[in-house]
Amino acid sequence: MKKKNKQNNSKINRRKFLKVSGICGLGLGIPTSALGKALQVDDPLRSYPDTKWEDFYRDELVKTEGTSTGFAFHCSNCQGNCAWQVSSNDGVAQREEQLAQYPQISWDIPDANPRGCNKGAIHSQAMYEKDRLLYPLKRSGERGEGKWEKISWDQALTEISERIVDTLQEKGPGGLMIHTGTGILSQGRRAGPLRLGSLLGSIRIYPSSAVGDMFTGATLALGVPNVGHSLDAWFEMDYILLWGINPNVTRIPDAHYLWEGKYNGAKIVTIAPDYNPTSIHADQWVPVQPGSDSYLAMSMVSVVFEEGLYKKDFIREQTDLPFLVRLDNRKLLRENDMKADGSDEKFFFWDLNSDSIKQAPGTRGSGRDTLRLGKIKPALEGEYNVTGKDGETIAVTTVFELARAESSRFTPEAVRDKTGIHPDVVRDITREFSKAEKAGLTVGFSIHKYAWGILTCWAQAMLCALTGHTADTGGLDTESQWSLGGIGPLTSPKPARFESGFLSEWMSGKMWESMRSHYDNDREFKERAGLGVEDVIDLAQKSIDKKWLTHYEEPEARIIFADNLFRRNKSSGHYKREVLGKTKLYVNVNYRMDSSAEFADYVLPAISHYEGWDIRGEVGYHRFVNLTVPPADLKPVGETKSEWEICSLLSDKIQDIAKARGIPKIEDPEFTVTKKTKVGKKEVSKTTPVMRDLDTLVSDFTMKGKVKNDKDVVKWLIENVPAFKPWKFEDAVERGFIVLNKDAGFTSPLYATKPYHSFETQVYLRRPYPTLSGRQQFYIDQEVFLKLGATVPTARRSLHPSKFPLKFYTPHTRWGIHSTWRTSKRMLKMQRGAPHVSICPEDAKKRGIKDGDKIRVLNDIGEFIAMAKVNPNVQAGTLMMDHAWEPHQFEKREGLNSAVAGVLSPLELAGGWGHLKFGAQWDGNQIALESAVEVEKA
Amino acid sequence: MSKRQIAMVMDLNKCIGCQTCTMACKTQWTNRNGRDYMYWNNVETAPGKGYPRGWQESGGGFNDEGELKEGRIPSLTEDYGKPLEINYEEALGIGPDGPSTPWTGVTRPHLKPEDEKFTTPNWDEDEGEGEFPNSFFFYLPRICNHCSNPACLASCPRKAIYKREEDGIVLVDQSRCRGYQHCVAGCPYKKVYFNPMFSRSEKCIFCYPRVEQGKPPACAKQCPGRIRFVGYLDDEASPVYALVKKWKVAVPLRPDFGTQPNVYYVPPLSPPKYDEQGRLTDKPRIPIKLLTGLFGPETPRILETLKIEREKKKRGEPSELMDTLIAYRHDEMFTITDEEEQGF
Repeated sequence: MKKKNKQNNSKINRRKFLKVSGICGLGLGIPTSALGKALQVDDPLRSYPDTKWEDFYRDELVKTEGTSTGFAFHCSNCQGNCAWQVSSNDGVAQREEQLAQYPQISWDIPDANPRGCNKGAIHSQAMYEKDRLLYPLKRSGERGEGKWEKISWDQALTEISERIVDTLQEKGPGGLMIHTGTGILSQGRRAGPLRLGSLLGSIRIYPSSAVGDMFTGATLALGVPNVGHSLDAWFEMDYILLWGINPNVTRIPDAHYLWEGKYNGAKIVTIAPDYNPTSIHADQWVPVQPGSDSYLAMSMVSVVFEEGLYKKDFIREQTDLPFLVRLDNRKLLRENDMKADGSDEKFFFWDLNSDSIKQAPGTRGSGRDTLRLGKIKPALEGEYNVTGKDGETIAVTTVFELARAESSRFTPEAVRDKTGIHPDVVRDITREFSKAEKAGLTVGFSIHKYAWGILTCWAQAMLCALTGHTADTGGLDTESQWSLGGIGPLTSPKPARFESGFLSEWMSGKMWESMRSHYDNDREFKERAGLGVEDVIDLAQKSIDKKWLTHYEEPEARIIFADNLFRRNKSSGHYKREVLGKTKLYVNVNYRMDSSAEFADYVLPAISHYEGWDIRGEVGYHRFVNLTVPPADLKPVGETKSEWEICSLLSDKIQDIAKARGIPKIEDPEFTVTKKTKVGKKEVSKTTPVMRDLDTLVSDFTMKGKVKNDKDVVKWLIENVPAFKPWKFEDAVERGFIVLNKDAGFTSPLYATKPYHSFETQVYLRRPYPTLSGRQQFYIDQEVFLKLGATVPTARRSLHPSKFPLKFYTPHTRWGIHSTWRTSKRMLKMQRGAPHVSICPEDAKKRGIKDGDKIRVLNDIGEFIAMAKVNPNVQAGTLMMDHAWEPHQFEKREGLNSAVAGVLSPLELAGGWGHLKFGAQWDGNQIALESAVEVEKA
Repeated sequence: MSKRQIAMVMDLNKCIGCQTCTMACKTQWTNRNGRDYMYWNNVETAPGKGYPRGWQESGGGFNDEGELKEGRIPSLTEDYGKPLEINYEEALGIGPDGPSTPWTGVTRPHLKPEDEKFTTPNWDEDEGEGEFPNSFFFYLPRICNHCSNPACLASCPRKAIYKREEDGIVLVDQSRCRGYQHCVAGCPYKKVYFNPMFSRSEKCIFCYPRVEQGKPPACAKQCPGRIRFVGYLDDEASPVYALVKKWKVAVPLRPDFGTQPNVYYVPPLSPPKYDEQGRLTDKPRIPIKLLTGLFGPETPRILETLKIEREKKKRGEPSELMDTLIAYRHDEMFTITDEEEQGF
């Protein structure tokens, strides 16, 4: 029986709530008796005869405190995760203020309060802005024309579900994509779409990879991309390098630990192309050329090798630098080189104590789960001879020798023309970093948005490893994340089509077309990349064919939650046309009409941060798990629904429609399930394809009625995530947050009274790292790495084509979390109200451009129009724009990604090797910062 | 003189320009009732035009003889900037009750401010001055200074502005103000604002309704940079006392205006400049003249003190000043009441 969707009788329409949120009428609360009354005032500096009127502002304060309060955090992709208290008046959110109740974990370390930022502070205003989606929409014109029909939820869900079942019937489960973007990153609110997609076997792309946030260089070295420490650890460090990261803008709630650390004696050095807001408080800013970071990193490594600043004992035990490498084919020496049926996961070093070859413990195939060397002292230097399986002599050397030789090509003097940095500066900071007891190297998300970010970060990892900085002595810090186990049964009950983020966007948007165009000087490209453009394009297809990275056939139906795909994808005009051209059904679930919702067939209005229950705890910057507990009297905004409810209602409709069409189940042979049963005394294994059970979809989705709504999701998570124990739901609801327990760390315990550092179990307990070698890995002989001559960390030139004079880069804005809040008038008022680009005075003068002028930024891929901001902090030959402006904020509705070409980092296409296997720990990046442009007055 | 004086110290070595304080004040007081264009708390990039534009050259305050100097009333369109209205409905096609397509027949407009010409309070954000790679800037958050010799109070012909006895907070009596705006012209910091909806002048009230409950002002409490200390100047246990009276590292802005402000700043250090060859020098980027012009002649001593005390910490020696500025506990930055703070 179809359920009738209840209309919410108490819905607030926009006119009503605009009025109420303005607290209009309060201004007239002046006691009329006071008006016009003559008052004798003698000396107002000393005293004042009648202060009764002061109730005027007191009454206003009471109103902002509201009749009801709740807790909230803003779950979007800032990774900050801050606890707020929200007040509402008569059902309308009034104001928010940081909860600021986190306990101090140690007297020696500043507490985490208040957290929060300028964006969170105005969500109560933005949630009622005129771009808010209040009712379901169906397009009545062409996609993107802006012609809509308001429809009921019932009609919307029915029509969408009919078409979903069409797709499932005609194309199978792989024809449907259900994707939740980084607009929602909380465990609570992501659960609905993930669960529905999992039950149906839908395609889901890896969001981190799609947006270019994968620290692939860290994965090469350490096996996982997310490494480092909680940010209170900054306070205890002696030396901090902030490389390609701008914490004063992008780590607002935690930046204070840096400046407190500075007062505590730390030296802080920033490395960035422009004198950015973080550099103003640093002890030194290093003005690196954009895209030349791999050269700078390698030059620092070369100084470490040259001046002997490395820690021998540390690298013997904790890195693969002593591993033996064949001189003939540049491959790691493996057991199967020396034994006929040997393993390819057993590796060797030369033991100086016994002057003989010894197998390294702790590697993937070694069978010994420890890095302890016992009596072995692995050689770092030298060339040796070993006997091959056919009796032949194999000449070998060590990874250390090869890494050192490679680094010697990149001395500070040799790379100065690429980096722009004086050799003395490089030597000084390298020596300081090396000798500091606790030295941290925090890498920002900007680095991997360059094609050679993977090499930069690998070299940065080597710098830290050579100088012995890992675990509590600092080391590489990309973005620590907690281990929140137990969520699988909720979000992934059945296998889903999880595929590469960056590669899928590349394929969907046919981004090779803009790559061919922008990098059409193939000789120049090949000189820098080591491969031609066509080679890279072919390599991408090879990666899919060989299943190095996973990519399924294009879906024909896309249900998109919280993702502004037509804003963020490069060569945005081309991408949009390609994707829309091949998509039969496009549904956008959103809380505001952003540049992607505008192009949908159906738009479904979702809740925003204060309106539904939620919980988030994976963010590694701090140990607190925040809850959203809506104020009791908060009324739904328009007809919006939570993601869980939307997915639940879709399940409902899909089940009914499938039943009406006589399709109870769909076989999905892409995935299999193996059941073991006993037949007599024998155990029999039966492997069958996974079934997509449309006939029990509702019951499956709600866990047989146990999880019916967003509140139940939060309850389930608190009960089932081990790192949340021993907290109970009731405690969490009362406090607004809970504290993670010691099991929350991946590679170290989370101590109750100390900051968190990764890899303590590796450094102190000598357990292997999650890499092929079991160690910090600096030799990778995967075929792409071999072909590019990048088996050890090295440097490559940035790809910006010389045919356009300005390197275009787009650091994260202060005024939005990507496009969330970007178009809030509260935020726009704090900048220039409209998109603007920073250009240095010299480049502006050359082109007759003055501050405030309308300019055109262009290249062969596209163009956009913006305002010029003449900025002395920006280098000549560069153009800087803070990111995430909505395309529909630009004239002609062409956003900044119109002029950004698609391009791939070839090393990120590799796979099928050791720990470089596609999954959450290994996937590449959508490159954003390798395009060159020109600019002219418009 | 008021019996007690509440004061605020802002450490400019920690201000990150995030404007959370600006938004806190905006939602606490000025998102309504004719106050929309006002930013009782603002954060400007220094050196820069400031908010309102050119406030440092707008007169007001006192001369050396203690006489009020002439000042100008800033322009709403040119200096403050009108409240920004964005054409959401026109550009996005959705109205409160249903879709609307007001652009029929012409190209759909993009999302933009409704006014062609406009200015905003943070126009020159992150710009500053100087030449690459030695350019410089820092952030200067400003509220009403709740002066001990307020020019606004002296300007008002109706004596409708007064200083509270219990805490020295300066207020414009909303029941007696007639909107003459002498105070707007008279304040050299341009921190009094005319409210066009009610024809009265309003300004930062130091969140006295919160202070009376023992809570710090919104701007201070909500600052994630933890740069603001709030306390009474006579409270020897307060970090405000330590920074202003004991260590004397927190000083008023533009003391030459003669109004005796009660908001104090710890002036900012800056990273060193590079020479022509790209080698590091030992000269800080921000010219000392700029800093003494803003914060007075004690500035070089203060910067030197910060350096010396920080060196102590580097050597593993204790430093009371550094510990005070580090501010290990957020709640201890605000010493407003004698009562125990609630919490854990």
